[in-house]
Formats: sequence, structure tokens, C-alpha cells
Amino acid sequence: MEFPPIPPVEEILGPSPGQLLRRRIFTHKGLMIGGIILAVILFFALLAPVLSPQDPYAQSLTTRLSKPFWHAESTWKHPLGSDHVGRDYLSRLLYGARISLLIGFCVALISGVIGTALGIVAGYFGGRVDMVITFIITLRLSIPFVLVAVAVVGIVGGSLKVVVIVLGLLLWNRYAVVMRSATQQIRNQDYIPAAEAVGCSTTRILLSEIMPNIVNNLVVVATLEMANAILLEAALSFLGLGVQPPTPSWGLMVAEGKDFLFFEPWLITIPGVALFVLVLAINLLGDGVRDVTAPENR
Amino acid sequence: MKARPLARDRAFSQGSNRRGTGMLIYTLKRLALAVVVTLVVSALSFGLLYLSGDPAAAIGGEAATDADIANIRNIYGLDRPIYIQYLNWIGKALQGDFGMSYYFRLPVSQIMAARVPATLILGCSAIVFALIFSIPLGVMAAIRPNSWVDRTALFLSVMGQAMPSFWLGLMLIVVFSVWLPLLPPSGTEGWEYFVMPTIVLGYFAMPAIMRLTRAGMMEVLASDYIRTARAKGLLPGSILFKHALRNAVIPVVSVSAVQFGFMLGGSIVIETVFAIQGMGYLAWESIKRSDFPTVQAVILVFAVIYIVLTLLADLLNGWLDPRIRVT
Amino acid sequence: MSRKFSLFWMIVLFALILTASPAGAGKANDTLNILHEIELSSVDNYFNTDRWGVVLCHLLWDSLLYRDLKTGEYKPNLATSWKFVDSKTMEFDLRQGVNFHNGDEFDADDVVYTLNWVSDPKNGVKTQNNVNWIEKCEKLGKYKVRLKTKRNFPAAAEYIAGVMAIYPHKYYAKVGPEGMATKPVGTGPYKGVEVVPGKSITLAKNENYFAAGPKGKPSIGKLHIRFISEVNTQIAELMSGRADWIWRVPQDQAEKMAKMPKITVETADTMRVFFLHFDAANKKGRNSPVNKLKVRQAIGHAIDKATIQKTLVKGASRIIHSACYPSQFGCTDDVVKYEYDPAKAKKLLAEAGYPNGFEIDFYGWRNRPEMEAVMGYLNTVGIKAKIQYLTYAAVREKIRVGEVDMAHNNWGSFSIHDASAFTGNFFGGTTDDNARDPDVIKWLEIADTSVDPEVRKKNYSSALQRVAEQAYCIPLWSSNMNYAYTKDLNFSAQPDEIPRFFNSSWK
Repeated sequence: MEFPPIPPVEEILGPSPGQLLRRRIFTHKGLMIGGIILAVILFFALLAPVLSPQDPYAQSLTTRLSKPFWHAESTWKHPLGSDHVGRDYLSRLLYGARISLLIGFCVALISGVIGTALGIVAGYFGGRVDMVITFIITLRLSIPFVLVAVAVVGIVGGSLKVVVIVLGLLLWNRYAVVMRSATQQIRNQDYIPAAEAVGCSTTRILLSEIMPNIVNNLVVVATLEMANAILLEAALSFLGLGVQPPTPSWGLMVAEGKDFLFFEPWLITIPGVALFVLVLAINLLGDGVRDVTAPENR
Repeated sequence: MKARPLARDRAFSQGSNRRGTGMLIYTLKRLALAVVVTLVVSALSFGLLYLSGDPAAAIGGEAATDADIANIRNIYGLDRPIYIQYLNWIGKALQGDFGMSYYFRLPVSQIMAARVPATLILGCSAIVFALIFSIPLGVMAAIRPNSWVDRTALFLSVMGQAMPSFWLGLMLIVVFSVWLPLLPPSGTEGWEYFVMPTIVLGYFAMPAIMRLTRAGMMEVLASDYIRTARAKGLLPGSILFKHALRNAVIPVVSVSAVQFGFMLGGSIVIETVFAIQGMGYLAWESIKRSDFPTVQAVILVFAVIYIVLTLLADLLNGWLDPRIRVT
Repeated sequence: MSRKFSLFWMIVLFALILTASPAGAGKANDTLNILHEIELSSVDNYFNTDRWGVVLCHLLWDSLLYRDLKTGEYKPNLATSWKFVDSKTMEFDLRQGVNFHNGDEFDADDVVYTLNWVSDPKNGVKTQNNVNWIEKCEKLGKYKVRLKTKRNFPAAAEYIAGVMAIYPHKYYAKVGPEGMATKPVGTGPYKGVEVVPGKSITLAKNENYFAAGPKGKPSIGKLHIRFISEVNTQIAELMSGRADWIWRVPQDQAEKMAKMPKITVETADTMRVFFLHFDAANKKGRNSPVNKLKVRQAIGHAIDKATIQKTLVKGASRIIHSACYPSQFGCTDDVVKYEYDPAKAKKLLAEAGYPNGFEIDFYGWRNRPEMEAVMGYLNTVGIKAKIQYLTYAAVREKIRVGEVDMAHNNWGSFSIHDASAFTGNFFGGTTDDNARDPDVIKWLEIADTSVDPEVRKKNYSSALQRVAEQAYCIPLWSSNMNYAYTKDLNFSAQPDEIPRFFNSSWK
């Protein structure tokens, strides 16, 4: 009697979850594009001091409003032109990547912590706790965020720290809502009551049982909120409440460039395109993570 | 595959009577909550406003002396403790008297009444614009997930949201008012004045609504119920439009309400760019000039609108899906 | 079917666009579309503090006198002659045959009522400085009035000519400021047609305006004023032909717009002087480097005013060395001047005890690029200035309570051509005075109230010299103003920032 050759173990078992995940990530076009763009921007941000032709804060009134290299009357001192007080745009673009990424990341961190904590607690405990937290969320959504920004800036003045704190303290609502509903969904899965029966402390349940299972939701919301924060910083700068000059944030550069829209359009277009690409990349990444980790695909 | 019985079926099994009283209690609870939220919001805003500037100095104007300002403080009652001022204000506000604007010296209600129409028109057209484009896009994307249709739809919707709104607005003005003199850059005299602002404002609600429609549709389409209907041989078209969409639309309703609320706030930038004298612009300018009565009134109105919308959305959700009423 | 369908909708769309309400295009329907960026709080002349209020004051109303721009003399307007009876009393003969827009006859009752009403602090006129010098106005006859001032006030004629609109007494008594704000009535060359508060003001030519007046008869039929706060939108409106006149155009944009075929760009100096305002007197006891004279002098030397003026401010602006505007009576340039000398600045800083510079909050509320330029220069001598860009009201308040070490301040003097409106305001012991120099206060007191022009000039001179020596403030430059309007318009800009539309006409 002849038996067919026994295939190796890996073939019988099939690819491991880790391998599956990796495969899904690498075949998802959106995720890859977003990830690569983000990596490139990160690279430029980290190497800004090396790559910038000049100090982004250095003024040079005599060469103000120089045109970028694709114009005839440009100068190589300012490859991407210069702004209204003569600061080099390429340098500001590179350093601006740092600030924009920093804002996005820090705000996502702060609001993520607040929102996730509130959301998980609300979802897990339910009842009165949930009511209180939902109340707080509705409250937060009903307060005009401009008013808070104005009040804070009015007292302590505008600056990078202030922008990050204000945005961080205001943008946690989506985290809370999503994490709350995600927690609710898995609340009654077998392993939670099991952990409770065994006598795990609440903290342990929240951190070790619930968190890992909803972390993919968190990542998705975090990426979207990062993009949101970066754009809101531009809106705040438009209203005069954001980062103050001479700090080179892309949002501030777009807001400042607005005044030169008609005749020196590169001042708003260059940082605008940069912002656009960054936000797009983050969105693609977020969508990709969601697609790749969505329960339907498991 | 998740098995989720349709909302209606469960409601029926509970009996319509219970549904009636359950609904009433739910409505009352939500209403009470709405009122409390409104009051707290207005109180918080009151406090924040005081932190942001000195109203007496703002009323006094450019050349007011210290004596002038002290005098003003006395006349307007600004030297009394904050909570007393707030209670006075809310008392009158509940009777419809929002006081006099510090800046315009006209009744705030009169000023707001003149500005409300523009913002409402803008907000409504924007949400309609968003819905008209996002829902079909979301449906198409859901039918063929991960296809180029899906990717393009997502990309299109995200595109407008990846630009600061004032930039998008200004670009539209440059293209459609200066290069091609088709549309007016500012004002509200006719329907054509609202085209560009609607596009800019509506664009921001689009990604959320589209994604939600797509996700909702995909989930429903994959449910057992739909599979059964398909197996029974019902035509794909009728499945889609009668059953799937109706179920998928539930979260879209509440998100639209929420987006509408956001847009009222986001309209500040757009109203400024397009010089639409609406509530958002009024709020912003009033904050800048410390015109407290006006700011309070506008915030209260915004909060009320937002809370009413969320309340309606909640109620609608509760009616459609009774499980929600229990939480 | 779908092809015809979409063609149909294209046609509909085009038809709608073409028939959409046309803009009131300038010359074609004799309407000048004017844009201004700040919503006016009230059309009532005494209840707004914006520049546009002054503009409307001259459009809708008349004053007793009118300042001739070329000669600087006060010409008769609603008053045909006037004289100082003694140092505190003036008498006016009034013009006969003048009517208000609503048909009421103008006579002494109107003058008496208006001046007494606005000078009563109970009525809450916004800019008390403009009216609180009036003691009482009495009727001497149907066309004769006597005006008493509270103290010697040599600048009375200037204030009367500049900001004192005369109201119809019956109408104002009936409707008050609220009524006047929505339905203004005056004697001026333009009458109110429609006021939408905070949004637009429409005026029409007053056909019955008295031709014998110094303003002459108005030519343009209608003025439609709209408020648009976003500069780019204003420019878009002008470029697309929907607006005919805008001002305060930023320098760079103005230069480029000048090259456009349908637009005229005019540039004029203004009386608005920008200066660095220091807390020299340590008002609140916060102890700041700027309390020291050498630090202030260092700052004066650190800034290259000439380059900033040439590259950023440009136009018809000029460098100002003294705390007043050159055209103001009593102003003199014969003071210590701080030349650009960064080495000297660093030396002074070291002598004052700051060899490595220091950090300071730099407050401002207008022309941020100029603030940034100044900040850049301060940086090179070691002074790290952090910009705090707030609203006017916020900054002014902080300055007054002594919380601001250094501010990028500016003052237009309400276009009053008298040094009392500038120097007197900032160094005469008022709430805006952050120097508190008793000598300066004394000199200004004498100069503001003496009727002898020579005495006034001498004391203003002493005060200005002391201010410059002590660098209580560092004057920078006067602000340049750019006007952009359609080529169809005859208009000429004046340095007092008051566009005179009654002197404009179509080409």
C-alpha cells in the first residue's frame, strides 16, 4: 500500500496569524502607499537640520518673497522661495514636518488616552457610569471649540504647547465613542465574565482582556484624529489662535501664505500640498489598518 | 458572520404596548438630559468668556479712560459675582430676552434673527450636498468592496477633507470668481452665492457619512437575513433598496445630525472667507470684540440646535432599534 | 437618452448662471460698491469707534466747520463764521437755508441739542475724549450759538471740524441712537437709504445738498458699502468687477494689482504712527529690563528702521523719529534719533547688565509681518522677543494695567492735526502713559491748554525731546495706505485716512 507523502506541518496548519497579517498588510495598496509616504515625511523631519539650506528662523528682508526654482527669477539661495520676511521656505518646510508630526502625534496621544479611558470605562461598567460619561461626551460636543481656544489663548497666549494641550483636551470624543461601543460589543464575550469569575482585578481586565481586543479600533481612530488635529491647527492659525510665528508649522505657513494667494501662490500651495499629502497618507494608513484588522477578515 | 435579527422583528415580539411606554420613558430621560446639558454648556461658556476678555474695556472702546471703564462696569452690572450675572442672564434668556449687544447697542435677538437664515441655509444645503454624494458613493463602494470603485470613492471623499477649509474656499473663489467669472465670491443675495460655501462645508461631512454608509451596507449585506432573502430568490435590486439600506441608514442618521452640529461650528471659517453674515461669523467676531451677550446667545442657540438634533437622532435610533433604549 | 439628459441639464445650468442676479456693476448703474473689513457697531457717529464711522460722519452729516486739506484752515460749513470770544468761549453764526434729509430745517436748536446731548456723560457717547471738553452750548438767536469749553482748549476747532456731526434735534430726541443707527438723518451730501446692521449700508446722493459748502455737491449717485473681513475675498470682489473700491490693501498685493488693466492703485501716507511702547515706569512693579534707559536705547539702535520701511512698509510711508505725526501742530523732529547700530546696541545691553540679552513678551495687534521683522532684528542682538498677537482691546487693556513690557503699538490720532491727540494721549499722565515723567506731564499740561501758539510749541518741543532722550517709546514709521479701485473712478486719497466720496466722480 502506498500512502501519499505527508506534507510538512506548516502546510497542514496553514499560515500563522502573524504571517496572514503580514501578507494582508503588504498586499493592501492603500496601507502601503500611506505607510511609505509617512515614512518619507518622517525621514525628512528627522533629517531636517542636515537637509535644510538655512536656519528656518533667519530673516532676510532683502530677499523676501523670492520665487521657487521653477520660476525664471529664482535664486538658489532659496530653492523653494522665501516668505514675506525672507525666511527660506525649503528649510521651513522640512522643519515644519517636525512640528506638524509632533502636533499630530502628541494630540493623538493625549486625546487618545483620555478618550480611550473614558470609553472603556463607560463600555465596561455600563449603567450610571456610562450615563455620566455619555453626558460628558455630549457636553464636550456641544461646547464650541473655538470659544475654548480663544479663552485659553487669551489667558496664556498662543504657542505650540498651548495648541497641543487645547487640541488634546478637546479631541477625545471620537475615541470615547468608538472605544465605548467596541467595549460594549465584546463586554459579554465569554472571556470577560470568565476573568471576572476568576477574580481578576478590574484594572487587569480592562488592560489585559479588553484593550488588546479593541486596539485595532484605537489605531484607526488615532490615525484619523491625528490628521484632524493637524488640519485643525491650520484652522486655528487662520483665526490667529494657533502656533505663533516664527515657528515653522505647516498650518501656520498655510495661514500666513493665504495673504499672498493671488500673486505669490507658492507660499500657500507648497505647505498646503505638504499638509494634503500628510493627511492623505494618514487617512490611507488608518483605512488600511481597519481593513486589515477588521473582524470580517479574521 | 454576525447574526443580528432585524430591529423591527424584536420590537414586534415585545408587543407594541410595551414599545409605547418604553418609548415614552426613553424620550423623557433623553429630554431631561438634553436640558441639563444645555444649561451646563451655557454656564461653562459664560465662564470661559469671562476668562477671555474684559467686557467693560470692550464696551468702552478705544479712548475710554479707567474712570470710564469703572463707570461702565457699574452701569452694566459687571462688578457683581459671576454666578449672579449668569443667573440673571439665564433667567432673562429663558423668557426670550437676550439683552443688548455691547457692540451694536441693539437687541441681541434682533441681530441673531437677521443672521440665522444664512447659517441655516448654508448648513442645510451642505448636509444635503453631503448626503446626495456620500450615500450613493458609500453604497457603490459597499457593493464592490476593495475594487477601484471603492478606492476612488474613498479617495474622493478624503481629498476635500485633507485640505484646510479656508484654502479650499479661497481656491474655489480664485477659480470660479476671478479666473472664470461664474460665481460671486461673497454675500448671500441669491442661490448662486451659496454654491461654493456649500461645497466647502459639505465636503467635510462627506468622508464620515460615506464610510459609515459603506460599512453599514457591507455589514448588512453579509448578514444571514440578507443571505436568506437572496437564497429565497428575491431580486438583488429589491433586497438592496428595501432592506439593506433601511438598516444601514440608522447610524447614518445620527452621524448626519452630529455632522450638522459640527458644521454649525465649522461654519466660522467658511462664513469668514465667503463673507456670509451668519451665526458662525457673528460668534467669532463677537468673541473677538468681547460682545458677551451676543456670544452667550449664539452659543446657547448652537448648543440647543446640536442637542435637539442629537436628541432627535437618539429618539429615531431608539424607535428603530429598541435595544438602545435599555442602555 | 442619458446624453440628451445631461445636455439638457447643462443648458439649464448655463441659463441659471446667466440669469442669476447681476452684480450692481459700478459705473453702469451709478453705484459705487465699497468694501470695508470691520463691521461698524453703529452708524450713529457718537457710538462707534471705527475709522469708517469718521468716514460716514462726513458723508451723512456736516459739522459746524470743515478742515481744508490743502491749507489746513478751518472753513465754514454749517457755521458761516466763528470767533473765540475769550479763551473758553466760542460763538458761531449758522448757515441759513439748510435742510436735513427728512425735510427738517436746520437752525440753532439742532446745534444746541446735539452738543449738549453728546457732552452729557450719562448718554454714554463712546469716545468721551471727543466730547468731554464741551461745557455747554447756548442759543443766542435762530442762527447764532455760543459754545463754552470746560478749560482752555485750543484744539477745539479741530475737534469740531473733525468729529462733531450735527443731528436734527426733533428726530434724535424721538428715535435716539438706536433709531439713528438704522435710519440715519443728517444734512450731509449723502442720505441713508438702507442700513443692515453689521452687513451693509446704502447711501444715495442728496440732491438738495447746499452747494455753497466746502464739500461741494456730490456726483456719484449711490454708495453701497459692504463689510467683508477676509482680504482675499475683497480682492477677488474687486478683480471680478463686483466691487469698485477697497482700501487697506496689503503692500505686496497692492503693488501687483497696480499692474492690472482695470484697477487703479493709489498709495498715500497716513497719520497712523507705529511705535514701540515701553513700560518705562514699571507701572505694576513687575521689574522688566525695559525699565532701564540703556535697554530701551539699545532696542532703538537694534532695529534697522530704514530697511524695514523700504522692504516691508513701503509706499508713501515715512520714518518717524518723534512721538507725533509731522503734520500735527506742535510736532517737531528735532530730537535724539536712534540710528541702526547693532554693535552699539549690544554694548548698551552689556552696560545695562544683559550681555547675553534677555527674553521678552512682545505684544501687538496689527501688521504682524512688521512685528516679525522687528523681532528678527532684536534677535540678532540677543533679545528674544515672543510675539503675543491679540485683539486691540486686549492689548490696550494689558498696557494700561502695566502688564506689557513692550508693545508694537500704533495710533491714528483720530486724524486730529494737533500734538495733543498723540503726545498728550501717551505721555500726559493718562492711563495710556507708561512713562510717568512729571516734567513731561507738566509741559504737556501747559501745551495742551495754552492759547498762545508759541508757548504751546515750546512746551511740546521740550516734552518730545525728553521722550526721545529717555526713549520712553521708539517711534518707527507712519503707516502706508493702499487704495485700489476701478479705473472708471476719479478718486484721490488723503493722508487723514478719510476717503471723501463726495469729491469723487465717474470718469
